[in-house]
Amino acid sequence: MESSYLIEARQLAYKINEVKLFSNFSFTLKAGEALHIKGSNGSGKTTLIRILCGITPATKGEILKKDDLVFTYLGHKNALKTYLSIRDNISLLGLSKNEDLKTLLTSLNLQNKLDVIIANLSFGQQKKVALLRIFLSNSDLILLDEPFVGLDSASHNLLCKFLESRLNNGAGLIYTSHISAGIASKDISID
Amino acid sequence: MLREILIIVIKKFIHQFASPKTYFYQVNRLYPWLLYISLFIYLFAIIWGLLFTPKDFVQGHSYRIIYFHVPASFVAQSLYAAMAISSAVFLIWRVKLAAYLARSIAPIGAMVTFIALVSGSIWGIPTWGTWWEWDARITSTLILFIMYLGLISLHNSFNNFDKADKLLAYLAIIGFIQIPIIKKSVDWWSSLHQPASITISDKPSIDPSMLYPLFMSMIGFAGLVACLVILSSKVQIYIREKNKSWVKDHV
Amino acid sequence: MKLLLPYTNEALKLIKKTRAWIGPILIFILIMVAFPLTVELSSTNLSDAFYPVLFISILLVMMLATEDIFLEDYEDGSLELLLISNKSLSQWVFIKIFIHWLFIGVPISLLGAFFNIGANNDLNSSLMLLPALGISTYIFLILFCFGNSLSLTKGSVLGTLITLPLTLPILVILGKLTSAIIFNINYFEFLILLFGILSIIIFAFPAIISRIIKTHLE
Repeated sequence: MESSYLIEARQLAYKINEVKLFSNFSFTLKAGEALHIKGSNGSGKTTLIRILCGITPATKGEILKKDDLVFTYLGHKNALKTYLSIRDNISLLGLSKNEDLKTLLTSLNLQNKLDVIIANLSFGQQKKVALLRIFLSNSDLILLDEPFVGLDSASHNLLCKFLESRLNNGAGLIYTSHISAGIASKDISID
Repeated sequence: MLREILIIVIKKFIHQFASPKTYFYQVNRLYPWLLYISLFIYLFAIIWGLLFTPKDFVQGHSYRIIYFHVPASFVAQSLYAAMAISSAVFLIWRVKLAAYLARSIAPIGAMVTFIALVSGSIWGIPTWGTWWEWDARITSTLILFIMYLGLISLHNSFNNFDKADKLLAYLAIIGFIQIPIIKKSVDWWSSLHQPASITISDKPSIDPSMLYPLFMSMIGFAGLVACLVILSSKVQIYIREKNKSWVKDHV
Repeated sequence: MKLLLPYTNEALKLIKKTRAWIGPILIFILIMVAFPLTVELSSTNLSDAFYPVLFISILLVMMLATEDIFLEDYEDGSLELLLISNKSLSQWVFIKIFIHWLFIGVPISLLGAFFNIGANNDLNSSLMLLPALGISTYIFLILFCFGNSLSLTKGSVLGTLITLPLTLPILVILGKLTSAIIFNINYFEFLILLFGILSIIIFAFPAIISRIIKTHLE
């Protein structure tokens, strides 16, 4: 049965120590769609995203992915080496040769700080460096867990514009956010 | 067609057997029999061994501690093997009951190893003149004891039980290497310990009149320890399945 | 060249984090230099006590070297990223252990053999000691990494205590090896034994460690 979904979840449930976190959670995401997962604190939004990434196994239910689905993920942790500079982190991620890198760094206001150690940057600046990986990726599916926290309004708008353009190019987006994102998306609640 | 039926039947059987509830009720029925039979065998063997066997040529009466020491040592190693097998079953087939079993064996194994070490020390005083010696078998049994303790502390330090089960399983399987080390250590390094008296191929080097009570005491002790393991596993099931309705009804 | 990239990445990370690399080496030098001072105070022969002190200090230093070896990558999210990106986690573990051995184990082996020349005035025994030290530092490193991975989230003390029993047989073999070196018998057999143990665990343990790390990430 031909289906243009990127990722589909069927009746996902998750338990910790036999205590149910959420159950019977299902959705379908097609190319070009954005899904906003809502829920109160502790309802399992982060766990759900990690289940979709494949890090955590779901207790029940199944996830169907398109063949060869490439996805990028940014969660609460930045995946940056705090004792290395921005430049070193970029080369560790293999992004130094990317042609969009220079313009991106300028628009994020980081072009003068390339040799600053990550630990010496502010929270928002670290978040921006972490988002570089998302900006410079070309994946089918983007998974973001609270991406807007700590961003100034310029970077917030930059991220929204980037996500919208990727959506228009046929990628999919699943994100959680307390802050309103300003992206046209389906809402689904996990409670 | 027959193959599909067979697969379904086997899966149902494993599923049923692997259910903690079934295990619990089966084991409850088995327990009194096991307890009384093993107790009888063990006491019989002890009395026979302590009172009705002749003096040893070299060691006199002090060798009789063998009826405590050898069963404890043998059971300590077998328990670890059982724990390792249970852990492997848990990792491969995801049978939760196997994880409960592995966790419940650990403290019992620690206790039995401790009995083996202490009884060995007591035996050592009249025989070798010392209660401790860093020879191969004693040291590797001490390592076994420490490993049991390590397994218990590893499992207890995690709040998430699923994670704790898996880590316990990995450690138990890797630590299994020390069982052949214990068995072979006496052959590889000359030490105070005597070589194994009972091997599979050769004739036993111990007198038959002492051998039979020894065998009986091993069987009896193994049965008693199995009872302890059953009790421990029941406690584990109570702890882990406490939210299930059948546990609430039972208690 | 592309194949060497993960190696150079990990090497770069370790080099920049100098305290994780130079620290263990300096501690080793400190212990080995301090030991003759204590021999002055007691009356034991220097060369008698040398080998045990050498092996125990190598054990201790390898234990220190693996403290937080995976914790940093766990806490900043690099491990999750690695897990998602379909790259082989066990290969990454292997590379990490190898780079640590290259930067910490090899210098310590060389230093140990060098100190042996000073303590025993014998070049031949140092040459025999060197490969044994190289192999056993790698084995210790692997075992302590295994322990560290088990208690990744709960601090490294628990993990090292758990794996300490597993290292004791290696110490026994090293003890036998010293008498083999001193009396010049059976040396190659013990070396082959150590090498055999290493060859079994060098590829098997990274796979197991990667499974354990995956369990922690859940």
